[in-house]
Amino acid sequence: MNRWKRALLVLLPLLIVVAGGCSQSSGTAGVVTVDVFQFKAEISQQLDELKAEFEREHPNIRLNIQTVGGGSDYGASLKAKFSSGDQPDLFTLGGDHERDMWLEYLEDLSDQPWVADVKEVALDQMTVDGKLYGMPMNLEGYGFIYNKDLFEQAGITEEPQTLSELREACEKLQAAGITPFANGYQAWFVLGNHFANVAFAQQPDPEQFIAELTEGTAAFMGNEIFQQWIDLLDLTLEYGNPNPLSMDYSSQVSTFATGQAAMMQQGNWTQVQIDGINPELNLGILPMPIHDSDTNRGMIYAGVPGNWVVNKNSKVKEEAKTFLNWMVTSEMGKRYITSEFKFIPALDSIEGTEDDLGQLGVEVLKYADAGKTLSWNWTRLPNGMPQEMYSSIQGYIGGSLTREEMLEQFQRNWDNLSFQ
Amino acid sequence: MNRNKRSHLLQQYLYVGPTALFFLCMVLVPFFLGIYYSFTSWNGISSHVGWNGIQNYVHIFTRDYSFLNAFWFTAKFTVVALILTNLLGFALAYILTRRLFARNTLRAVFFIPHVIGGLLLGFIWQFIFVQGFSSIGELTGWSFFTLPWLGTGTTAFWAIVIVFVWQNAGYLMVIYISAINNVPSSLIEAAKVDGAGRSQLLRKVIVPLIMPAVTVCLFLTISWSFKLFDLNLSLTEGGPFKSTQTVSLNIYEEAFTISRFGLGSAKAMIFFIIVAIISLLQVRATKKKEVEM
Repeated sequence: MNRWKRALLVLLPLLIVVAGGCSQSSGTAGVVTVDVFQFKAEISQQLDELKAEFEREHPNIRLNIQTVGGGSDYGASLKAKFSSGDQPDLFTLGGDHERDMWLEYLEDLSDQPWVADVKEVALDQMTVDGKLYGMPMNLEGYGFIYNKDLFEQAGITEEPQTLSELREACEKLQAAGITPFANGYQAWFVLGNHFANVAFAQQPDPEQFIAELTEGTAAFMGNEIFQQWIDLLDLTLEYGNPNPLSMDYSSQVSTFATGQAAMMQQGNWTQVQIDGINPELNLGILPMPIHDSDTNRGMIYAGVPGNWVVNKNSKVKEEAKTFLNWMVTSEMGKRYITSEFKFIPALDSIEGTEDDLGQLGVEVLKYADAGKTLSWNWTRLPNGMPQEMYSSIQGYIGGSLTREEMLEQFQRNWDNLSFQ
Repeated sequence: MNRNKRSHLLQQYLYVGPTALFFLCMVLVPFFLGIYYSFTSWNGISSHVGWNGIQNYVHIFTRDYSFLNAFWFTAKFTVVALILTNLLGFALAYILTRRLFARNTLRAVFFIPHVIGGLLLGFIWQFIFVQGFSSIGELTGWSFFTLPWLGTGTTAFWAIVIVFVWQNAGYLMVIYISAINNVPSSLIEAAKVDGAGRSQLLRKVIVPLIMPAVTVCLFLTISWSFKLFDLNLSLTEGGPFKSTQTVSLNIYEEAFTISRFGLGSAKAMIFFIIVAIISLLQVRATKKKEVEM
């Protein structure tokens, strides 16, 4: 029996460790903790400051904020959290596809006081059967960002609105010795999300087109808009920097910001980097036209990169809602959203000035308020499709695929990935 | 039951029990859950798991050419890596079992890469291929170093092979060294007396006698290179254009990035069966070659 005892001595500490892991730590009486899990790494510090302000005004609520940056990492961590039983009370999600994947865990927020203020463009991606399941964090928009001084230097007086006008502008720029486009086609999201989105957003009804692609009643081959979209791609290549496939995101932005190119396909999130290189630039955003007709004239592409959602099964969901409401209605919360997070507000009740948002943010806001935006659709595509399209478009740019072969690859990948 | 017997039984439970329990929890239960999920359309999130029958398997064989591509890549990689790693491992062992200056230091040096984790190695070598090689190329002008190593499918394939061989040859070297040291010197002397040359000695005496080690080494390299994941993830992430995606990475992306957990499980099952068959065939084939002393 001696050995038995000795073995027990070894096993006992192990058992204690296991048992200790199971017990839950309980908080102080009356104070509840809301677990927050979010993916905007760039605001994590400011969010901590906002949390301190919130806790000062609400002594009964503590926020426990965790940030995991980067698209797929966040998704995998969130899944891990849910399957291990450590569900956050308040977390962030992309719209459409992700909304549907997580729908059974989402609290209906339609009755919240801020719902009436949500901008039209931000509603659809979080709505199912007329119910709103998330609070849009902010708006972002992209198009061709252009350097107004270089345009003036080349003698371009009017903003090009059609494909032919864009070509004329490029020719003028080139004649003045200026490279028209900085193409960062090594960055997967520049091609796979943003550029590819143009072809979907320009469809008469993008959502229906996507549904029909999955049903098999629509196809990439023979779709006129996709052909026109490739015309635009060809134009950027013809008037762009050499070796677009080896230019990554940061060198694209710095090429543009140092005045070595007059335009780049990017969004308002580049403002911070541009300011870091040259804060004196005069910037504007041009639409991305794919033809000369009047349909969808002068549109940029705007959408919501992320939403706050409340876990339906949470015991502290009312407190989570209190925080969301406080963030968008209190003066403190509003100030943080615009001047600290540098977010383009997705709610009409929050005003953004140029000092807060920068020239690009104001430009996007102007397009959004005028209704001159087309939708973001990569969140509606089958998971993994943007990455596949990125590969195929790169193949086309590199010359190993023809127009038709690229579209055939789109179709093949769609048929594979839309299977559930 | 007498007291002695009962205590004996208790001991058995105590010694085997924990291991059996962990094996059950960590291997058997997930394995059978995996089989179950491979017949469902589960997305890894929902509490509702929809039954899909054999649709996942049908889909993989009819429409999912990315899996076939990954499989083809992995098979090619396994063949090349298997041959090169074993040749290099054996050559190192053969040289380092001779009387050589700094023999033990060299053994340690060649073994060290195996101790570093594959993920870290991948990042280090990514830096070497992208920055280091191009700097050397600029200095010397040698075309070998100016190749876009991780930029095209073919060179990226060889890049992974190089790192894999470098990482694992040292481990095989250790196994081969112990095998070569176990060859009785009386046999070698007898062969020498009979007039065998160096190459005859190697082919007719040493290699047949170390066949058990060869069996082990082949088995290890096959399973390592078939299941390659960390190196692939950190070195190329399957790129460029998904040309260097291994089956493991493909399965991981299917289940966790594309969120088709059921389909990913089905792929993992197919993968398991194929690896099991190949390993069994290989072990049986090399066992036959082993000689008894």
